[in-house]
Amino acid sequence: MAESSGTDPTVDSNVVENAAKDRTMIVVTVKTPKDKEEIAILEDSSVAQFKEEISKRFNAKLDQLVLIFAGKILKDGDTLNQHGIKDGLTVHLVIKTAPKATSGSTSQNSASSSGTPQANSSSSASSPVPNASTPPGTGPAIQPPNLLSGFGDLSSLSGMGMGSANFMELQQQMQRQLMSNPEMLSQIMDNPLVQNMMSNPDLMRQMIVTNPQMQQLMERNPEISHMLNNPELMRQTMELARNPAMMQEMMRNQDRALSNLESIPGGYNALRRMYTDIQEPMFSAAREQFGNNPFSALGGNLDSGVQPSRTENREPLPNPWGPPGTAPSESRGTGSSTTTSSNGGTAPSVSSLPNPLGINASGLGNGVFSSPGMQSLMQQISENPQLMQNMLSAPYMRSMMQSLAQNPDLASQAMLNNPLFAGNPQLQEQLRHQMPVFLQQMQNPEALSVMTNPRAMQALMQIQQGLQTLQTEAPGLMPSLAPGGIPGIPSTTGGSVAPEGPPPPTQGSNPSADVSPSQQQQQLMQQMLQMFAGGVTTTQAVTPEVRFQQQLDQLSAMGFLNREANLQALIATGGDINAAIERLLGSQPS
Amino acid sequence: MLEEFLTGNDLYHLVKLWAYQGVKVPRNFRLLEELEEGQKGVGDGTVSWGLEDDEDMTLTRWRGMIIGPPRTIYENRMYSLKVECGPRYPEAPPFVRFVTKINLNGVHNSNGVVDTRAVSALAKWQNSYSIRVVLQELRRLMMCKENMKLPQPPEGQIYTN
Repeated sequence: MAESSGTDPTVDSNVVENAAKDRTMIVVTVKTPKDKEEIAILEDSSVAQFKEEISKRFNAKLDQLVLIFAGKILKDGDTLNQHGIKDGLTVHLVIKTAPKATSGSTSQNSASSSGTPQANSSSSASSPVPNASTPPGTGPAIQPPNLLSGFGDLSSLSGMGMGSANFMELQQQMQRQLMSNPEMLSQIMDNPLVQNMMSNPDLMRQMIVTNPQMQQLMERNPEISHMLNNPELMRQTMELARNPAMMQEMMRNQDRALSNLESIPGGYNALRRMYTDIQEPMFSAAREQFGNNPFSALGGNLDSGVQPSRTENREPLPNPWGPPGTAPSESRGTGSSTTTSSNGGTAPSVSSLPNPLGINASGLGNGVFSSPGMQSLMQQISENPQLMQNMLSAPYMRSMMQSLAQNPDLASQAMLNNPLFAGNPQLQEQLRHQMPVFLQQMQNPEALSVMTNPRAMQALMQIQQGLQTLQTEAPGLMPSLAPGGIPGIPSTTGGSVAPEGPPPPTQGSNPSADVSPSQQQQQLMQQMLQMFAGGVTTTQAVTPEVRFQQQLDQLSAMGFLNREANLQALIATGGDINAAIERLLGSQPS
Repeated sequence: MLEEFLTGNDLYHLVKLWAYQGVKVPRNFRLLEELEEGQKGVGDGTVSWGLEDDEDMTLTRWRGMIIGPPRTIYENRMYSLKVECGPRYPEAPPFVRFVTKINLNGVHNSNGVVDTRAVSALAKWQNSYSIRVVLQELRRLMMCKENMKLPQPPEGQIYTN
């Protein structure tokens, strides 16, 4: 009996066993991509036993070890014999550092080169991070739209007067924008205005109740009114609304519950029943808007009345008091196309109601108008003056504007937080300056009456269009006509043209490269008001022309007769005449 | 059963048997060699291969394993493959397909079959190449810029067709 001296505990115990049972020890090489060890083990060992030895030698946990031999992974229950592992053969080892960590084979081995573990650990640090962040990232991205779409649908029903498909598109786009950036969502939620709203359950309830469509809904589904009357539930919902992450979690749970429900025998039928009872009236009410979106409503509304938690989701919905800044972003989130696009975040859902406000806010921004959604919206509005009227007649609209007018700072801030404006500081600046004035004008009953007067709106739009045509046909002829469209809505549209009549000469005399800030602001403001009045706009194109009017005149005076080229150069150089001249000279052979 | 072939006279006898089948000797010799290499861990330890079934006398169906290279999206994953060495092997290249789902250029998304044209070792096969060479090249492909960041299916999924 050859008992070893006991220096090698592995062999020791094995030898003892060996002596007792007369089995064969074999030496198997265990190889990692960076290291190699020879391990003695009993021939008829199981893979599990083999791993025990390996775990000791390589200083790794059992569940981190993956053994490969001859192209096959060795399972713990197998035996070495089974795989033909014999003395002198090599088994490959992979050590996993963590479930999603680096190629563990080297990182765990203390004997291996020191450089490797660091390299591995850094990559392991990086790989879990993207992995970790992806699920949450996709979570919010995926979950929120569903919720919002549910809201969006409801909002479409809620007869904001926004019975326009285009508006829903707008909502969708905004929502998508919002949803693709969870931080925006939390920003919005952090907005004090939103939070104020949320913390006033009575107000919310009132808003919900006064909505005629909602009333209809409540008649048909008493559970909803019951829910509204339950303060506890409302509070819960608002808490939930405040916390987008929680909202998403809830949505996820509900989706899971929903799918569970499906799998229960008879569950599918129950779902379908719910769907028909609840969904269809809503659907028919807003048929045109859903279009390809039956699931959005499904996702949001399906369980209304069945599970309070589901119905709760509608609670935060009617928040017309969502700040204007948030409104556009949220109001764009309607019936997104798939169930998977569920969304969290009440703010988006909330503002699905405050669409009017959304329009207001977005009406203030050039950048916003350049978005196709906005333009289609404006088109829609111009085509359907009734829309505007409905919008304005919404009761909360007035009070909202009042409160905004009283607190312009808050409004500006709210709007600035609007993700749409996030990337455009210049726009924000302009907004900040013009917000008070704008709000004043919105308060002006005359302005409102103009906006609600369909004929007046049409006339405004015609003028707008005429100006645009003129712009394109004879650029520079009436540079400030476009922006100077409407100094104030109350003033007649005709009057807006006259005062701006003779600007070119006077402006031309001003050698300064930039239009004075106040002038710029005024122009911008006028543009915005005009846009608000309705009409697809190409404000972006107008502004540079207007801004560079003086420079253009100078350039033509210097002999640069190609007005188009001049304008391009000025746009490229941002109004710097000298640089523009350089550009022009550089591009011309002369 | 094949273990015995590796250890002695039996091998000689068997080879004699095969010799009568002519063409098959070089093929079987080669494959036996590859079998031995696979068992002895020839190479850098990042790929492994062996017979799918030890009783397979024709040495046709093989299994391979590629350890995903570090610092790529394949890191820490083990990719199982099936390699089929036809009767004309090694004059003709083997058929290779992934069993473990993978998103890699040159591998069919639906069934894991490796496109011969996409792997140069297969496209420009030489009879001196071997299963190891093919596996190693596939592993190199995983390290290419165009592949190393491709999003992958969840770990552990396999192709069912």
